[in-house]
Amino acid sequence: MPDTHLPGRRSVLAAGAAAAASLGASWLLTGCTGAAAAPGLTAAALPGTPDPGGTLRIARPPASDAETLDPASSLSAYEYLGALYNRLVRVGADGELAPDLAESWESDAKARTWTFRLRKGVTFHDGRAFTSADAAYTLRHILDKATASPQAAVLAPLVDPGTLRTPDAHTLVVPLKTPNAEFPSLLTHYNCYVIPDGSAKGIGRTGTGTGPFKLESFAPAGPGRVTANKDHWAGRPVLDAIAFYSVADMSARAGALLAGQVDLLSQTNLDFATARVVAASDRATVTRVKDAQWYVLPMLTTEKPFTDVRVRQAMKLAYDPEHVVKAALQGAGTAGWDNPVPPSDPAHIAAHPAHDPEQARHLLKQAGHEGLTVDLYTSSYDPLFTPMALAYQDSAKRAGIRIRVRTAAADSYYTQIWMKKPLMATYWFTGRPVDQLFTQIFRSGSSYNETAWADKEFDVVLDRARAETDDTRRRELYGEAQTLVIERGGAMTPMFADRLVGISREVRGYAEHGFEFDYLSIGVKGA
Amino acid sequence: MLSFTLRRLASAVGTLFLSSVLVFLAVQALPGDVATQILGKDATPDAVAALRQQLGLDRPAWERYVDWIKGALHGDFGTSLVSGKGVGGEVAQYLGNSALIAFVTVLFAVTGSLVLGVLAGLYRDRWPDHLISTVSLVGMSVPEFVVATVLVLCFSVALPWFPAVVLYGPEAGVGQLLPAVWLPALALAVVMAAYIVRMARTSVIDVMAGEFVTTARLKGLSTWRIVTRHALPSALLPTLHVIALNVAWLAGGVAVVENVFNYPGIGKLMLSSVQNRDLPVIQAIALVSAVIYVVCNLAADLGAMALNPRLRTRGRTR
Repeated sequence: MPDTHLPGRRSVLAAGAAAAASLGASWLLTGCTGAAAAPGLTAAALPGTPDPGGTLRIARPPASDAETLDPASSLSAYEYLGALYNRLVRVGADGELAPDLAESWESDAKARTWTFRLRKGVTFHDGRAFTSADAAYTLRHILDKATASPQAAVLAPLVDPGTLRTPDAHTLVVPLKTPNAEFPSLLTHYNCYVIPDGSAKGIGRTGTGTGPFKLESFAPAGPGRVTANKDHWAGRPVLDAIAFYSVADMSARAGALLAGQVDLLSQTNLDFATARVVAASDRATVTRVKDAQWYVLPMLTTEKPFTDVRVRQAMKLAYDPEHVVKAALQGAGTAGWDNPVPPSDPAHIAAHPAHDPEQARHLLKQAGHEGLTVDLYTSSYDPLFTPMALAYQDSAKRAGIRIRVRTAAADSYYTQIWMKKPLMATYWFTGRPVDQLFTQIFRSGSSYNETAWADKEFDVVLDRARAETDDTRRRELYGEAQTLVIERGGAMTPMFADRLVGISREVRGYAEHGFEFDYLSIGVKGA
Repeated sequence: MLSFTLRRLASAVGTLFLSSVLVFLAVQALPGDVATQILGKDATPDAVAALRQQLGLDRPAWERYVDWIKGALHGDFGTSLVSGKGVGGEVAQYLGNSALIAFVTVLFAVTGSLVLGVLAGLYRDRWPDHLISTVSLVGMSVPEFVVATVLVLCFSVALPWFPAVVLYGPEAGVGQLLPAVWLPALALAVVMAAYIVRMARTSVIDVMAGEFVTTARLKGLSTWRIVTRHALPSALLPTLHVIALNVAWLAGGVAVVENVFNYPGIGKLMLSSVQNRDLPVIQAIALVSAVIYVVCNLAADLGAMALNPRLRTRGRTR
């Protein structure tokens, strides 16, 4: 999902149309029920415990017609992964690392060699025992060029697949090329789910993992079904089965939920109009995943006028993130203050320069760009891009900056606009550990570095942080890195938006944060 | 009649060839190719180059086109760049599902709108005419996705009679798809009906003002008999072309409606293959649509000839 931004890819057909239709829909429904105001968007996850058993029906946007169950692939069917597989390490609800198939891990004093102690008595769905050979194979599979895994770019500079050692069946030793005290956090990525030794050829269809559910059927961009793995090492999941359905169009997904055909919409941030309709329905409601999407206005630091750091600073000081959250999100989110590390991340620092249009004006004058006029590209790819662009435009006026909002075609937005136009609107799903976030999106030369920002000092601070084995000191260094991104970087981060998730009123125990979905405790009432 | 038919067939083949070239060029002109579209944000230069080579996109466009045409002439439409499946089989599967919708739509639209059109024509300028004309105009003006959404809200959300979306993939059987066919068909029929209603109404008015109708009336025939035996066949004639064009329009109209209902038909396949720049699939669908257009028009021409003796004899003397 996440990196490739699935939600919109295929629902572009009528993103505008869908908006119009959902507006019509909300008008119709509110007209019918008479519940005119009362958006009801504040609903939290439904309280109470689920009954054991039952089938949960999830509607999901397909990654592609060629999607696969190979977790390492860029076309992996995201929702299946957490149900079928486990990772070595996952991210807990508190944002800290938590054990999954690895019970514990430690490094040498220099953070150059990592040792993972693996859980015993775990079996794959086909009955084979899980050992260190499978864990090592998973890493080699990700690093294999033929897999073309997006996570290879993060791991390849650190890990040489030839040096992995498995001293016994439940120990994996990973020597690193350069020290990294945050290495285990890089294995929490959704490309890093553990697959059986030697399974590369078939894993895309078999889905053989150690996870709480076993694969019953799977069709790329079609329906699929997983059933409870009664022998799961962490205990049996509450549900008997999960049925996954591919529904590319967002309004069609909402329709399926309203009609009671599905219970949960995955990877779907409902637009406000549709969310009101869903919340007003007696079958379904809306729950929020806090700060689930991270919105960015990247300034290409290789394009004028953003080559000048003063202009970048002025662009940031010129607008008020609180205004953007109010106007574009109707309050359903958190102001970003240009810091890409989400507030829920333990490494997040709260300090930031205050909104100061006068200072912005002054900086622009210094840089010779008084009364700056720039194009800001948006598209209907995501329903929040244009509201965010307009809110920025409105807020930056006070600093004398004139923004011309330009709308580009949604279906080629990420090939023609992203990383090509000097200023545009985009987003990521939050949930990357801080080291991965900085290495992947802010370090000079990375392929996801969407502002093409290259700052030697930042790279040095990042390297020092990675090599620092003292936890407190390391957090401080990641804090310094955040300060550099805020003060010099090209990315404006106006807001973190809550995801508005459409969910049946019968579902209990829904918990999702970042790229973590609790498949064990989710269930339905009266199953 | 024979030479006329042959000439029409020749021009049909020419149309098909031209449309395949145009579609090929249009897809080439779209920004981004299949490699960048598939990879999305993961499109690093290395990954794109590798995928491009793997898919044969590094060869010149005309070479790929010639290869494709050669294959198509032998009944081989190539393999999908995205799913890796044979295009012929894939398109046929989706097309079969769409045919189900198309059949029901045409049935609804043609019978319904002919009846309404004739009624409107017979009650010209009285309230049934005003009602039918207004409603059909509204149906024509509202985009099909709005009609579809309203139908979903009424008949699957408020009254749970029909499923709101299809949850099955393209391999679903008729039995699985049948409950889901009615709403999309109705949405398409509403949009389609307006044209046919207007046309049928106009022809009925024309015909009823004709001398032979007056003669029939003077002969003492009942209105029912005049309408069914004399007026209707003549009124059908101009309507036939409108129906044919509308059936052909269905090939495109389904794109939007099928996506709203997540119906695994040719429209959904078309949209996803355009978004993925899956050239062989787009080409095959374009060819199929062109065939549908040409065949519908041909059928309308030949049908008109069969119904109209004047046209038939003129064709013979030529």
